[in-house]
Amino acid sequence: MKLYFARKFLMLPLVLLGVSLLVFLAIRALPGDPARLMAGPEATQEAVDNMRIRLGLERSLIEQYVSFLWNALHGDFGISIQSKLPVTHEIAERFPYTLALALCAYGLATLVGVPAGVVAATHKGGWPDQIVMLVAIAGASIANFWLALMSMNLFSVQLGWLPLLGASSWKHFIMPTFALGLLPTAIIARMTRSSMVEVLSQDYVRTARAKGLSDAVVHRKHALRNALIPIVTIIGLNFGSVLGGAVVTESVFNWPGIGRLLVDSVSYRDYPMIQALILLAVVCVVVINFLADVIIAALNPRIRFD
Amino acid sequence: MHFDPFLSGGRRLAFGITFGLGALLATTAYADTVLSVVQAEAPRSMDPGDHTASATGTVLEPMFEGLVKRDESANIVPVLATEWSTDATGTLWTFKLRPGVTFHDGTPFNADAVVYSIQRFLDPARGLAAAGRIKVVIDSIRAVDDLTVEFKLKSPYAGFLELMTTGTPKMVSPTADAAGTLATTPVGTGPFKFTEYKSGEYVLETRNENYWGTPPNVDQLRFTWSGEPSVLAMSVQSGDADVVYPLQPALVLAVQSNPELKLIDSTGSFIYWLSINTQMKPLDDVRVRQALNFATDRQALVAALLRGFGDPANSPLAPSNPFYDAELATYNYDPEKAKALLADAGLPNGFTMTTAVSQRDAPIAAALQGMWSKVGVNLEIRNLESGVWSQVAFADPSGKAADNLGSTIASWSTGAYNPDLQLRPLYATASWSPGGANLGFFSDPHLDELIDQGASELDEAKAKPIYVEAQKLINEQAPHVLLYSKHNLAATSAKVSGVWVAPGGAVNVAWATKSE
Repeated sequence: MKLYFARKFLMLPLVLLGVSLLVFLAIRALPGDPARLMAGPEATQEAVDNMRIRLGLERSLIEQYVSFLWNALHGDFGISIQSKLPVTHEIAERFPYTLALALCAYGLATLVGVPAGVVAATHKGGWPDQIVMLVAIAGASIANFWLALMSMNLFSVQLGWLPLLGASSWKHFIMPTFALGLLPTAIIARMTRSSMVEVLSQDYVRTARAKGLSDAVVHRKHALRNALIPIVTIIGLNFGSVLGGAVVTESVFNWPGIGRLLVDSVSYRDYPMIQALILLAVVCVVVINFLADVIIAALNPRIRFD
Repeated sequence: MHFDPFLSGGRRLAFGITFGLGALLATTAYADTVLSVVQAEAPRSMDPGDHTASATGTVLEPMFEGLVKRDESANIVPVLATEWSTDATGTLWTFKLRPGVTFHDGTPFNADAVVYSIQRFLDPARGLAAAGRIKVVIDSIRAVDDLTVEFKLKSPYAGFLELMTTGTPKMVSPTADAAGTLATTPVGTGPFKFTEYKSGEYVLETRNENYWGTPPNVDQLRFTWSGEPSVLAMSVQSGDADVVYPLQPALVLAVQSNPELKLIDSTGSFIYWLSINTQMKPLDDVRVRQALNFATDRQALVAALLRGFGDPANSPLAPSNPFYDAELATYNYDPEKAKALLADAGLPNGFTMTTAVSQRDAPIAAALQGMWSKVGVNLEIRNLESGVWSQVAFADPSGKAADNLGSTIASWSTGAYNPDLQLRPLYATASWSPGGANLGFFSDPHLDELIDQGASELDEAKAKPIYVEAQKLINEQAPHVLLYSKHNLAATSAKVSGVWVAPGGAVNVAWATKSE
């Protein structure tokens, strides 16, 4: 078991190093000259050249990567081209917003998706099952961008119940959480249902029932625990798509998180910021997957001995 | 965020969540009257000299002042200078400064501060984004006494005073600039003081109680932004915003039909055009360029793309420009004439050309493609993300030849009225991209001469015929397919008055009034 985790854990730095190189090269392969963008269309060539030197872009790629890596290892991701503030400072200010939004969306997805899936599975073929699956299909098909605009129009413009832009009170959380959480809720509900349905047909569930245990105990103690394994995997794998959805949701709702920061940074070719943000996203995905592996191993002892 | 490595995992998570929620739940203390302004983009810099974007100008304008400005009626009026004069040669300009003014940080405003503010631009090592225009005009500046400064120009330049009204040469606190904090904490002399920049969310400004002039009517200004046009419109409909700019023409009806909202519809200085690569065959033939102009239905473009909130372009200058000539003959929509000109140029079956357009302007390209196909011109569209577009559009002649790029769709506004700032960067030989915005490498020695003559003619009455001739020449030579000038559309709450949009698109909110 320890060896299993140690092996997984030691892979992390290697993954990050590879990703850092990929991110660094991919950003520089983006067409568009940041010096020209920063200097503006009216700038003279001299001004653009000065800007390039100011941004350190006149150095060779290898030099730029080595210094990027060295500084990153010391927690220094450089100065944002756009805001002129240290990248770490700005990310530290904005990451909590994305984290809070992602936690709310995931909270919604887990608290609604898992029970809905269980209800559907235990009423397989009945009307609760059909309703849950209908809502889940709709939820998985609606683009969160469209949903965001429609809910803004209904709840802010027409009804005036919720604030439209920003993140300064709990009311600001409601619409973005819903817009971001709908897809994972739908996925988790469907996954829980099919996983439960499969587990409920297993011999040990029949045995448990034959022992005279109540449905509630059988479902909770015997079925759900085993059904959770693929669900945790899906939650872990889906974290990346939640971060992706956050980019859209944050942009629409003016949410001051890192998703919106990433969109702004790409349009200004803010290299230091883009690099740091993508690395952060990769770290999040890798860490969440690592945690998912840990939870699955805890749920299923057989995995630890593979 | 800094994590203490000695914190245990659980405590670390708790710390992170507390930190996050604490930051989220901390609400801003609102003063009595807050005017909320929502724009299409975030401020690009807090240093007024380090950007050229009008949306950034809107945020910085209430905090920074120049020596002179244009008022709502387009008159040049005193601000930090009380009077000014020029000598007979037109190269020496003297400004008398307003006494008793201090910057928000207490630094006194005087001749030394003006010299400091302007010399920032002249220093090549600073590389300030907005320095370009100033550097080519101003030779040197010196303090004559505590309240008098003298500018020496490189040559007589009629647009000098105009240049001093633009967003660029604003007076910044020498103390703040020397401390290197200007880019994050703006310090000027304006009616509003910088209060807070909440990254990604808003900029807050509070009334300057020590302001030298008429005090503003609202206590705070709150600027925020959204790149989604429908969200902009919704924010003024829901009451989240008091002022939104720009408003898409398609959303005007929703504003007009709502009694709680007001529409601001003012003429703009932006001209939209398609720049033709005049160094490339067959576009080097003036008949071909004229044919493209005759094949363009400008009325239809204005009606379809702007819902009528614009004017078909008959000149490289916008109608808001005092040197604009309304008498210029336009290229009327005449596909037959276009076909005849093409046949005359040896292209009876038409030809194929490419255009590079940024996603925002892509509908223009699609409309032109349809119109031009009727005269046999096959327009291939390269629809590009704005950063990619600017790299492609500002390529040099060999780059564009290798790229086989026949044209570029773009727009230009000086944000000012002086025609030199519109004609020189777009049409002068010295402005070929990448060094300037002459994207089609147009070159006409006579036009270069006219532009220089106009720039050095200080007498407006004498400059007018020069600029009229320049406009005619540009129309005849057709280096651009001039499309339209766009109106500046904004929406405000009906409770708000005193907001106006300058032709260049900067929104003036400092003296707005908001009734409850």
